[in-house]
Amino acid sequence: MGNQLLAVRNLKKYFPVKAGPFSGKSLILKAVDGVNMDIMKGETIGLVGESGCGKTTVGRCMLRLYEPDEGRIFIDPEKHTKAINIVEEFDAKRFALEDKIHSIEREIAGPKVLRKEIRSLLKQVHELKLKARQAGRRTDILSMGRDDMSKARKRLQMVFQDPWASLNPMMLVKDIIGEGPKEFGTHKGAALDKWVNELLDKVGLPRAASNRYPHEFSGGQRQRIGIARALSLTPSIIVCDEPVSALDVSIQAQVINLLIELQDDLDLTYIFIAHDLSVVQYVSDRISVMYLGKMVENANAKQLYKNPRHPYTISLMSSVPVADPEHKSEEIILEGDVPSPVSPPPGCTFHPRCRYAIDICRKEIPVLEKDKDGHVIACHNPPND
Amino acid sequence: MSNVLLEIQNLRTYFHMHGYTVRAVDGVDLQVMEGENVGIVGESGCGKSQTAMSIMRLVPDPPGEIIDGDILLRGKSLLKLKEEEMRKVRGNDISMIFQEPMTSLNPVFTVGYQISEGLMLHRDMSKNEAIKESIRLLKMVGISDPEERVKEYPFQLSGGLRQRVMIAMAMACEPAVMIADEPTTALDVSIQAQILRLMRDLQQKKNTATMFITHDLAVIASFTQRVMVMYAGVVVEMASVNDIFKKPLHPYTHGLLTSIPVLGDSKYRDDGSRRLLYTIPGTLPDPKRIIKGCRFTSRCPKVMKKCYEAEPELVFTEKDHKVRCYLYSDTVRETPAYLDVPVRGLSKKQKKQAKKDKIRG
Ligand SMILES: Nc1ncnc2c1ncn2[C@@H]1O[C@H](COP(=O)(O)OP(=O)(O)OP(=O)(O)O)[C@@H](O)[C@H]1O
Ligand SMILES: Nc1ncnc2c1ncn2[C@@H]1O[C@H](COP(=O)(O)OP(=O)(O)OP(=O)(O)O)[C@@H](O)[C@H]1O
Ligand code: SF4
Ligand code: SF4
Ligand SMILES: [Mg+2]
Ligand SMILES: [Mg+2]
Repeated sequence: MGNQLLAVRNLKKYFPVKAGPFSGKSLILKAVDGVNMDIMKGETIGLVGESGCGKTTVGRCMLRLYEPDEGRIFIDPEKHTKAINIVEEFDAKRFALEDKIHSIEREIAGPKVLRKEIRSLLKQVHELKLKARQAGRRTDILSMGRDDMSKARKRLQMVFQDPWASLNPMMLVKDIIGEGPKEFGTHKGAALDKWVNELLDKVGLPRAASNRYPHEFSGGQRQRIGIARALSLTPSIIVCDEPVSALDVSIQAQVINLLIELQDDLDLTYIFIAHDLSVVQYVSDRISVMYLGKMVENANAKQLYKNPRHPYTISLMSSVPVADPEHKSEEIILEGDVPSPVSPPPGCTFHPRCRYAIDICRKEIPVLEKDKDGHVIACHNPPND
Repeated sequence: MSNVLLEIQNLRTYFHMHGYTVRAVDGVDLQVMEGENVGIVGESGCGKSQTAMSIMRLVPDPPGEIIDGDILLRGKSLLKLKEEEMRKVRGNDISMIFQEPMTSLNPVFTVGYQISEGLMLHRDMSKNEAIKESIRLLKMVGISDPEERVKEYPFQLSGGLRQRVMIAMAMACEPAVMIADEPTTALDVSIQAQILRLMRDLQQKKNTATMFITHDLAVIASFTQRVMVMYAGVVVEMASVNDIFKKPLHPYTHGLLTSIPVLGDSKYRDDGSRRLLYTIPGTLPDPKRIIKGCRFTSRCPKVMKKCYEAEPELVFTEKDHKVRCYLYSDTVRETPAYLDVPVRGLSKKQKKQAKKDKIRG
C-alpha cells in the first residue's frame, strides 16, 4: 500500500427519465452527483448505501461502461501531478463560468443581449473542456483517446452482480475467459489455452470446465468464471459489484476467501460493492457510504462499524440484521419517504429523514470534511456519541 | 396459528434430460400453518426454488415433471386442478416473488403496465384505478417518484428497484400464501427491514402464511418461526428457528452456520495476518447420480461406515425437531458432541468421490 492508483473527482452521471404516466415531459435523474474517491494500491474500498443510491453507476463509470456527465478519474495520479494540476485549473475556471451562466439565467429570462453574453460564455466553457481533455488525456480515464483507453481498460475490470445474466450462454467457458486476452493480443493459440487453464486453477475450477457452457455450473461456480474473466488481463483494479449477494453462505465464504487470496497473490485493488454490511466490513480496508448519489461518510472499516458518525450511517448500522433469533434489534427506523433522485430535497438530501436536522441542513449542502477522529463526513450537525 | 393451510406430501420433481434425470426435489414433506413464516435454506442447487415452483405448478415441463407426491391447499389438491383453475389460485391464494427479477419481469413492457395488468385481472380494476393502485404499491415498497417509475422499463431500474417491483406485484393481490424466493438479496438493510415490516403487516391483516427462501440467515433469524434445511433435494433438518440456531443437529446445518461472517469480524487477525472464513469443503453431489447412502457423505466431517450404506430417515429427536442423520438414529441428545471437534478436511474416500462428481450441472 502507499501509492495512489485512482483519484475520482466530482463524478456525475445523470439519466433522463419520463415525467409521470400521463406526460411526455422529460426529467433528470441524478444517479451520481459529485463523487470523490481516493483509491490506494492494494486496498479494498467498500461501497455501501441504499438501493438506487448510485453504487453500480459509480462502478460502471470507472470502466467507462457509462459515459459520465462530469468529473475526472485520474489513474496513477502521482505520476501525473503536473497534468492533473493543469486539468484542475481549467476545470475550476470552467465551473466559475458555468456558475456565472446559471446566475444570469436565473436573474433574467430573455433579453437578446444577455442571450448573446451566454452564448459567448458557453463557447469559452466548451474551449476549456477541450483544453482540459487535451491536458488530461494520459491520466484521466474520461478524457482518454482510444489507445490510452485500451491500455487503461486492461487494468480495470469488473465482476458483475448477477452470475446468471453476466455470462454469455452461447459461449464456452474458455472463450468467455479468453475473450479479453484474444482481443488485446496478450495470448494466442496454445499460450492462450495454457493461460485459461492457469486462471481456472487460480479460481479453483477444474480444467475440464473450459469446454463447457455456463448453464452447466452452479451460481458459485459461475461467479468463479466471472472472476477468472476479470483476471484474464492481469488487471490492477477490479470493481466487484455485489459479487456474493446471489450466493448461499458457504459458497459466499468460498468466493470471499478466493478474492482475498487473489488480492494477496496479485496485489489487486478492489472496489467492493455490497449491501451485506458484515461482508463489506470483513473484506474492506476502508468503506465509503453513499446516499442519493453523494458520498456521506468515509472511514476505515473498523471505525465505521464501531463508531459510525453520519446520521445515515448510524441508522444503516442499526438495521443490520443479526443471525440470532434472540437478538433484540435497536433498529432506527428511517422516517419519511425515500427521497427522489429526480427532485432531491434542497440542502442536505438526508434532512427529511434526519433526526438531527437543524435549520442550515435545509438550505446548505454539507461538504465532506475530516472530523477529529479521522472520519470524513458530510454533515452540519453530527450527533455526539 | 392453528390450521394447516398448505401441505406438501412426498414431493418429487425431476428433470428429464438427454440420457439422465436430475432429481431436483426428491421427497419433500412440509406443512405450513395459517399465518406462519417458514424459512427454507440450503446450498445453491439443493431444490429450494423447484419446491416453490412445484407449488405454483410452474416447473418448466418439459424437461421438468412432478413425478410423485401431492400439494394441498386447505386440504384440496393443487396438482389435480385444471390449468385455468390453477391460474386463479396463483393470483388470489398463492403468490410468488421470483428469484430472478430480470427473467420474470417482461423487458418489453413498462413496470406500470405489468403491475396494473395483474390488478385489472384479479381485482377487477379499471385501467386508471389500476395505474393509481400501482403507484401506491410502488410507494409502499419504498420506491421514490413512483409516478415516474411506472413509465420505466425494467432495464432502467437498479437491481434493488426491480426486486421491489416484483414484491409490489406479489403483494398486490393480498394472498393467503406468499412464497418469497430470495426476495431481499439485492436490497440494502434498511429497505430490507422495511419490506419485512410490510410482509408482517400483510400477515397481520390477512393472516398470510409465508414461505421464505433465502440464504441470508440473519433474515431467517429475524423473520421466521420454523426453518427447513434442504440438502441435495431432501429435507435434512426441520426445527423451530431457535433450535436451528442454538442447537443445530445436522452436520450440514452446522457448517452453514459456521460460514457466516459476523459484523465486526475482519479479514485481519489482531496480529495483522490474514483470517479466512470457514467453508464447507467440497460441493453438492451431482444431482444426476443416485446416492445409496446419506447425501452428505462426500463432505461430512463426521461420516461413518453405515452412512454409505443406506439413506438415513428424517426422524424426530425431540418434539418439533427433525433431523436426517445417523448420529441421531437412536438417541436424543442435547448438543452433538462433534461440535467441539475441530473440523478437518476431506478424507481420501471423500476426495475420490469429489473427483467423480467433478462439476455439477
Ligand atoms: N440505464 C439507466 N437508465 C435510466 N436510469 C438508470 C439507469 N441505470 C441506473 N439508473 C438509475 O440510477 C439510479 C442509481 O442506480 P444504480 O444501479 O447505480 O443503483 P445502486 O446503488 O447500484 O442500487 P442497487 O443497490 O439497487 O443495485 C437509480 O435510480 C436507477 O434507476
Ligand atoms: N430447467 C431446468 N433444467 C434442468 N435442471 C434444472 C432446471 N431447473 C433446475 N434444475 C436443477 O434442479 C436442481 C435444483 O434447482 P433449484 O433451482 O431448485 O435450486 P435452488 O435450491 O433454488 O438453488 P439456488 O439457491 O441457487 O437458487 C439443480 O440441480 C438445478 O440444476
Ligand atoms: S447535515 Fe443535517 S440533515 Fe444532513 S445528516 Fe447532518 S444533521 Fe442530518
Ligand atoms: S448420516 Fe453420516 S454422512 Fe450423513 S450427515 Fe449424518 S454423519 Fe454425516
Ligand atoms: Mg447495483
Ligand atoms: Mg433458487
